[in-house]
Amino acid sequence: MEIEEKLALLNYKTDKSYEHITVNPNICETCPDHFCTFACPAKCYTLIEGKLNFKYEDCVECGTCIVACSHGSVSWSNPKGGHGVKYKFG
Amino acid sequence: MSEFDAIVVGGGPAGSSSAIKRASSGLNVLLVERSDPPGSKNVSGGILWGKDLSAIVPDWEKNAPLERYITAKGTGFLTTDSMISIDFRSKKLEASKTGYSVLRAKLDQFLANKAKSSGATLVTGVTVDKLAFDGDRVIGVQQDGDTITSDVVILAEGANPRVAIDSGVRKPIDDQDIAIGIKQVIRLPESTINERFNLRGNQGFAGEYVLGFLQGTVKAGAFMYTNKDTISLGIVVNMSGLRENNSTYSFNIMEQFASHPFIQPYIEGGKVEEYSAHLVCEGGINSVPKLSGNGYMIAGDSAGLTFSNGLVIQGMNYAISSGIAAAETAIAAKAKNNYSSDFLSSYDTNLSANYVLKDMNTFRGIENVTWSNLMHKAVPGIAENVLFRMFNETGQPKEHLSSILMDSIRESKYSKSDLIIEAYRALRRL
Repeated sequence: MEIEEKLALLNYKTDKSYEHITVNPNICETCPDHFCTFACPAKCYTLIEGKLNFKYEDCVECGTCIVACSHGSVSWSNPKGGHGVKYKFG
Repeated sequence: MSEFDAIVVGGGPAGSSSAIKRASSGLNVLLVERSDPPGSKNVSGGILWGKDLSAIVPDWEKNAPLERYITAKGTGFLTTDSMISIDFRSKKLEASKTGYSVLRAKLDQFLANKAKSSGATLVTGVTVDKLAFDGDRVIGVQQDGDTITSDVVILAEGANPRVAIDSGVRKPIDDQDIAIGIKQVIRLPESTINERFNLRGNQGFAGEYVLGFLQGTVKAGAFMYTNKDTISLGIVVNMSGLRENNSTYSFNIMEQFASHPFIQPYIEGGKVEEYSAHLVCEGGINSVPKLSGNGYMIAGDSAGLTFSNGLVIQGMNYAISSGIAAAETAIAAKAKNNYSSDFLSSYDTNLSANYVLKDMNTFRGIENVTWSNLMHKAVPGIAENVLFRMFNETGQPKEHLSSILMDSIRESKYSKSDLIIEAYRALRRL
């Protein structure tokens, strides 16, 4: 089963006006490892033609990326109240 | 004059237990949870062991949303072709009922509602931004530009404690403190689960494995727990091993585990209902921060209070126990009207006196064993080789076990002396 199909099972209340995680593209551009792309369990970080692409909408708020990025690019805040992923089972 | 006697940040097992204990003692408690409903951002990667809830919810075994009680405990290694495991099943486990499989969306909502019915003010769907300070004294929390004041704040935010970190009361998390937890919940009929796992009624199975087939430096453990009519299947990936390797996707390891030849038959035909991920505290006692300060205490995963030696994995009971201990300290602080860091340090003393910090101190350094190359890279292959040669009848003359073992060690790429030293270290720490 592909990761995309698994993520499609999830319910989110997406906050369209606030990105709770931001990355600094200048830092990502010169990043030697792009470890975020391997670590993030929700495949929010991908390389498209060598450039890092980040989408916060699929984030499950685990916090992996803030630890994974050792270059200081990732800023992590909790989503504003009630927004983000909503598990049914947990 | 503060608006509340206590504010609890986070409505998981630690926070809700703390709020139940305090509110039951007549304190004016605010429990703030950012998810709505409570529990809808939480993931259980373990079994709820122990009876810690009895102190605050006497009827929990009857009324809490528990899935199954654990009568069968598996532990072992998976290699590409084999499963090598101990499967301990006992009427004694059945009689003691000290472990339950749980799903957190249900359990956490139950506990948060208990806090409410005990008299706490429960606010959901509200994200606390930071602690509020007066000098170095915590006087409440900040939320969307407002300050809500309290005599004491308990931080029980879970494994990714943004408020504690952003407020400077604990250091940022690093590779050694955590692992990446990934899980999927798979639905199957109750009768199918009972047949496949050899269970009756509400008996449950909890299995934990070392994934000995991963490439390069990647290390991960895995779990398989039976719920009533679902199976929780998950992995726990070591961050530094994944980083060093830098070519394996964490989510692919989940798929590798689920499609292992001796795991897949358990879940065959089941429907994946949910995929989830959560950090898992793995740093042992060395990653536990200063637990209290002027006007605040930290409980549960936020304080790194978990236990794992590969055979026993515990966290929710430590969360509950630490939440209750923080509440007891807050109740005493209220009686003396003293919220200084000196007085609140009795929380650390309380935790040292109960099993939580005792266990963590006894097993100091255990994380070096559970994540060792010995356990993840050497033992699985050697064990597979030994057992295969013992059980595979080739029509050739048989050898002694000791010579098979020596052969198998020789065929692995580990030197005998390294293995003996590592095994000795591991045995001392287990």
